[in-house]
Amino acid sequence: MEKVYVLGGAQTDFERNWTKEGKGVIALLKEVIEEALKNTNLTFEEIKDLNRKNKIAIFIGNFCAEYYIKQGHLGPLLTEVNEAFYGIPSARYEAACASGSVALDAAMTKIRAGDYDLCIVVGFELMKTVDSKTCGDYLGMAAYYDKEAKGIEYPFPKLFGKLADQIYQKYNLNLDRFKRNLAQIACINYDNAKNNPNAQTRKWFMDSRQANYRGNLTNEKIGNMLAISDCSQVTDGAAVVILSNEKYALKSGKNNSPFVKGFGHRVAPFLFEKKIEESKNNKYILPWTRQAIIDAYRRANLTVDDIDVFETHDCFTSSEYMAISAFGITEPGKEFEAIENGTITMKGAKPINPSGGLIGCGHPVGASGVRMMLDLYKQVENKAGDYQVKNVNNALMLNIGGSATTNYAFIIGK
Amino acid sequence: MIINTVTVIGSNGTLGTGVGAIFASFGNAKVYMVARNMEKAKDSIEKAALSVRANAICENMIPKTYDDLSFCIKQSDLVIETVIESYDTKKIIHTEINKYLKNTSITSSVTSGISINKLANCYDLEKRKNFFGIHFFNPPYNLQLCELIASNYSDENIEDSLEKYLSAKLYRKVIRTKDKAGFLANRIGFQFINKAMQYAEKYSEHGGIDYIDNILGCFTGRNMNPLCTADFVGLDIHKAIVDNIYENTNDIAHETFKLPKYINDLINDGMIGDKVNKGLYLKDANMVYDIDKKEYIQRKEYNIKFINKVIEQLRVGEYKNSINVIMKDNSIEAEICRKMLIDYIIYSYVASKEVGYNLIDADTAMAEGFNWIPPFALLDLIGKKDFIEKSIEYYPKCEKEINDLVGIDIKSKYRYEKFLKAKR
Repeated sequence: MEKVYVLGGAQTDFERNWTKEGKGVIALLKEVIEEALKNTNLTFEEIKDLNRKNKIAIFIGNFCAEYYIKQGHLGPLLTEVNEAFYGIPSARYEAACASGSVALDAAMTKIRAGDYDLCIVVGFELMKTVDSKTCGDYLGMAAYYDKEAKGIEYPFPKLFGKLADQIYQKYNLNLDRFKRNLAQIACINYDNAKNNPNAQTRKWFMDSRQANYRGNLTNEKIGNMLAISDCSQVTDGAAVVILSNEKYALKSGKNNSPFVKGFGHRVAPFLFEKKIEESKNNKYILPWTRQAIIDAYRRANLTVDDIDVFETHDCFTSSEYMAISAFGITEPGKEFEAIENGTITMKGAKPINPSGGLIGCGHPVGASGVRMMLDLYKQVENKAGDYQVKNVNNALMLNIGGSATTNYAFIIGK
Repeated sequence: MIINTVTVIGSNGTLGTGVGAIFASFGNAKVYMVARNMEKAKDSIEKAALSVRANAICENMIPKTYDDLSFCIKQSDLVIETVIESYDTKKIIHTEINKYLKNTSITSSVTSGISINKLANCYDLEKRKNFFGIHFFNPPYNLQLCELIASNYSDENIEDSLEKYLSAKLYRKVIRTKDKAGFLANRIGFQFINKAMQYAEKYSEHGGIDYIDNILGCFTGRNMNPLCTADFVGLDIHKAIVDNIYENTNDIAHETFKLPKYINDLINDGMIGDKVNKGLYLKDANMVYDIDKKEYIQRKEYNIKFINKVIEQLRVGEYKNSINVIMKDNSIEAEICRKMLIDYIIYSYVASKEVGYNLIDADTAMAEGFNWIPPFALLDLIGKKDFIEKSIEYYPKCEKEINDLVGIDIKSKYRYEKFLKAKR
């Protein structure tokens, strides 16, 4: 099967509010595409040439543009960016917050099958078009809406608040210590984001006192034990990753780029209650998340020992907590060790989210999977600037959709 | 540099509150918030916490009054004075600071124009080396610019350490400027605003204030129209800044710092801007001051065609096309707009050369202090060819400066896109 190379890409500055700027999706896509082409030395002429041979395709990851910007049929959007995209096979892929990953997966599959030489994967979401309550309601569609979100204010913080409750009950944790651990996860992400010039929170203040100051005016509780500081952001943004087969990588002198070593894709029971019911006797609280990661390790023929950096889906601090054992960094129930002893910080043995993750860098839902892949690329290529982890050979990402319903893991390396 | 304890003098002022919050949050310092009475000091702490969206930092701030000044200063590693822009008032405060300051502690003034060298004279020789101007911008949590101004007596090593502290610990975008009237960001920013005020007078028959504000709207690279900004800042503050620059400088833009008479009239009548809900605009009533009639009139809906075209291009991310409309449109409005933008670039260069230590600092000053499109990023967008053509036409007297400017190899580290809003 064809090897899939990751040639690079671009992301927008996640601090930007495109609604406040008065700009729409075409402006967003123009900027990110132009930047991605520049970063990968790809020209519109070359795109046209590949298109004549039917060797290029576009994959768009997005969750619910129909609601946020009242735009459906997203596949053809790039034809408004440049005429070079006329005629290129292009479609939209959706799996809630894992929409970016399902678009990446489709692109990789087409390359492996030998259909295309080059695939442009775009993830985007413009979320600041609506107020926060409406935004929360739209995001509720990533759960089983009728049963888990309808008529509920901010359903997702509540679902991941339930996950936090389940974690501490299942592993019989000390509640205060557990809450401090979650706060520490938030702080690590905020700290890392300070080094990322595209991170949404890079100018924000957060420290452990504030993160532990839950239930206060500036840190209101929003989902059981979780407060605002435990949540990822509402973000506008787009990310692009360009993938190729070996032939193209060789021809363009990019065959030393990182390549995809493994992937995992598993779907858990939709309802959160059923997830918990199913995992009652399993040592992992979200076994399908763990399975997606195991699948990626198996396909890559690697173990956690081989992974030098992780990007995880910290939509809430509880989801990053769970991911620590899902990656195999600790045994399930022992995640606090990796948090307390610094393992997951930038300087630790297994850094998680040097980018700042969803909490620090931001979470434009449909873009997040693509943004994570871009960050893996930067880490492996030593192009992450101030948030570079030293000596990265292999990197792993976990992108989840819904309440860890869709689970995607990818490993890239050299 | 280790700063454990800070005294903010004048903590109940808008800037004092915001500055205190920065030291208490990012700096994690113990901050004495000194105000005229305990009530005001306590109030400033609450407001400070909200300004950085973190109630937890209240624990770091201690309310104090001027009666406690000697105690606070003796304890402090850094003292920062943020009282009103009056040399006489500041002199009294700094003379007091001098009495109690440890020889090893830093002392500073947040001033937007008073000479740092003059204030340094309030200090004994051994303390004078520790005195700096640290100019924060309002609100400091949103605007990261910090101008660091040394006096002739300042110790260079201390200045280096202080700069490092401000940037690494407090996340400020620090630029060093010379001790010249207005320093850098205000020199450029208030020249633009004052010139807009002069244009409003010149074009009063066309509509005056809101006519000019429309022409220089958010689509020209700012969050707020310049004359709305003047109301936000306060016309009294604006006057203090431009008068100071007018009196103490004499560069190619000298006359553009002359405050128009109608602004003086408004100030004399107490119409000083948003603080009193009336200034150039009566925002609540959607009215604007008519310079000729000397009264407020209902705001008009301007339908200026070139603006529509610019916004249409920006909405879809066609930045080059949008600037081409501004540079090429034949209307009088487009001409005013491009004259102002070109002047902004030329003057940024001139001011940066005189006041700054690095030309490119003009970009940092305007992006981080005003949230305006950085001048050299704007030059990148316009392109040198179009810039030279129009700038020589409009400002033939500045030919030397223009040639020098385009001759240097200067590349903005800022991108222009986010500054250009698809809005009026």
